[in-house]
Amino acid sequence: MSNPMSSPVSTIKENSNKSIWKESIAPFMSKYGIVFILLAMIIVMSFMSDTFLRTQNILNIVRQISFIGIVAMGVTIVIITTGIDLSSGSVIALTSVLVASVAHPGDSLIGALALGAGIGIACGAVNGIITAKGKIPPFIATLGMMTAARGLALLFSDGRPIPNLSESFMFLGKGVVAGIPVPIIVFILIGIISHILLSKTKFGKYTYAIGGNEHAAKICGINVDRYLIFIYMYAGLLSAIAGMMLTARISVGQPSMGVSFELDAIAAAVIGGTSLSGGVGTIPGTIIGALIIGVLNNSLDLLGVSSYWQQILKGAIIVSAVLIDSRKNKKS
Amino acid sequence: MNKKLVGFLMIFVLLAGILSGCGTNSASGGKDKKTIVIGAAMPIFDDKWLSYLYDAIRAYDKEHDDVEVKMVDAKNDSGKQLSQVETFISQGVDAIIIAPADTDTAGPMVDAANEANIPVIIVNRKPDDKAMKKIYAYVGSESLEAGTIQMEKVAELIGGKGNIGLMNGQLGQEAAAKRTEGNKELIKKKYPDIKIVREATANWQRSEAITLMENWIQSGEHFDAIVANNDEMAIGAIMALEESGKRGNTVIAGVDGTIDALKYVKDGTLNISTFQDPMGQGKGAVEAAIKAVKGEKAPKDNFINIPFQLITKDNVDEFIKKWEK
Repeated sequence: MSNPMSSPVSTIKENSNKSIWKESIAPFMSKYGIVFILLAMIIVMSFMSDTFLRTQNILNIVRQISFIGIVAMGVTIVIITTGIDLSSGSVIALTSVLVASVAHPGDSLIGALALGAGIGIACGAVNGIITAKGKIPPFIATLGMMTAARGLALLFSDGRPIPNLSESFMFLGKGVVAGIPVPIIVFILIGIISHILLSKTKFGKYTYAIGGNEHAAKICGINVDRYLIFIYMYAGLLSAIAGMMLTARISVGQPSMGVSFELDAIAAAVIGGTSLSGGVGTIPGTIIGALIIGVLNNSLDLLGVSSYWQQILKGAIIVSAVLIDSRKNKKS
Repeated sequence: MNKKLVGFLMIFVLLAGILSGCGTNSASGGKDKKTIVIGAAMPIFDDKWLSYLYDAIRAYDKEHDDVEVKMVDAKNDSGKQLSQVETFISQGVDAIIIAPADTDTAGPMVDAANEANIPVIIVNRKPDDKAMKKIYAYVGSESLEAGTIQMEKVAELIGGKGNIGLMNGQLGQEAAAKRTEGNKELIKKKYPDIKIVREATANWQRSEAITLMENWIQSGEHFDAIVANNDEMAIGAIMALEESGKRGNTVIAGVDGTIDALKYVKDGTLNISTFQDPMGQGKGAVEAAIKAVKGEKAPKDNFINIPFQLITKDNVDEFIKKWEK
């Protein structure tokens, strides 16, 4: 009796082994692979540089990525709908110069912040309306905004920086509350809000639905246009917030601010597992993506690696992340 | 056949006569007064720095009765600039000064003027080598020199030895490469005890320089000086160093002499900046144009160098005045 039994048992065992791999370890790896990459980088760096794990250095890294991270969260939501936002960097510049011009000592802080938020939302609304109502591909619509907003920033500022900001405004970028720099606090808050928005609300569900299949989403009665416009407005708002904080951080409004920010933000989203073909992506993933970029930058600077190599390595990491991502998509 | 040939010869002789006549006319100034007319094709009037260059040209016109300058604005449109140069040619000006709206399109403008035997002076923006050979002179400043005089002063302030970090502008851009080359050349030649311990790009940006400096500080490296390709990056380095309380005696140097940077020089946080001299370039361009009209020999390599000026706390007020004017 034992003999005939042994073979089925072993096959079952084999099967279960395989299924454990297939059903839990492999998805776990592809879902959290990016976390392991980050951890591996941190472990390697902690051996290579004895200053890497210092609190000050960690705070530096998180503050450095908080600006790009905030932008990347908006970009993530846009990319989930199969869209793209190339205008982030220019919206940052436009916000920077306009807000700086009303944030001099004696000006109302609330007024400046409201103006900044308004600019971001307005630019986003234009992006959204052109994309949703005008049926123009978001690549083109936001490319137009990228060019025009930069032009507006240059026109308004006459190509020159706008200095002399009030202390209360600069607190947004330079301030520290309970030992934590303000940009990090804002970054975490926006992270929580965006995550809840995307994972726990109807808005989030519809965002994924639009990205999965816009046509089907429409048939299901989702007002796709309205949601798209709202999504681009949210992305614009986040760019403006990053723009205001960056302005406060460097204590001057600059029309040249945020050049190629959009590409770093897209890179963070993509490294974090957001798929450019839409329907896939999470806020925590994007935050990890931004952290990977930040740790990479910081490590290479700490080790004194030449700027040429830094660019090559960054390029390699972005492409490998997308490679992992495309394999994951094929499997499912 | 014969008639045609004769006709062709007659036209040729006529043309030659007109052309040579033109030449003697402007050289000896056959008109009522000995007036030299210069056409100045400028890229954009609405630019603070360039406005000083324009002012210097206008001032020369005012101060000299025998020189008349016609200045036009291309509004940063190279097509428009070409047609403006063509207008100058048809007006028969004696020389043309061009600050190209786009250095890549300087060629056609130079060719058009050369065909009419009008000498061309290019100012501020260096054209490509091909165009350089066809012009009378390029009047501008050598990016390399900004790096050399900046480094010379840094070396003096740190006593000729120590560790320095170099912050580069955008990789692959001429100004960034040349300024850095100037830094390094001087160190190699004169200061073997100065060690470049870190070098990386911050893309001309203050915000990126803050990040870079923060990371450099965390690396534990000690810096006697930070030498940046422009003022914005130098200010970023100042902000990061002061925020971390590690400024100490670190010497910080930039290039450009922007209005914002001058404030930092005045309060002593930015030790050095260098200034590209717009008035010198404007005046130099008119002087070169007059020499060309008078038939003097072109300068060596067709290049007239207007030296960079060093800005320190001692002479910063003089530069602040220039911006406030």
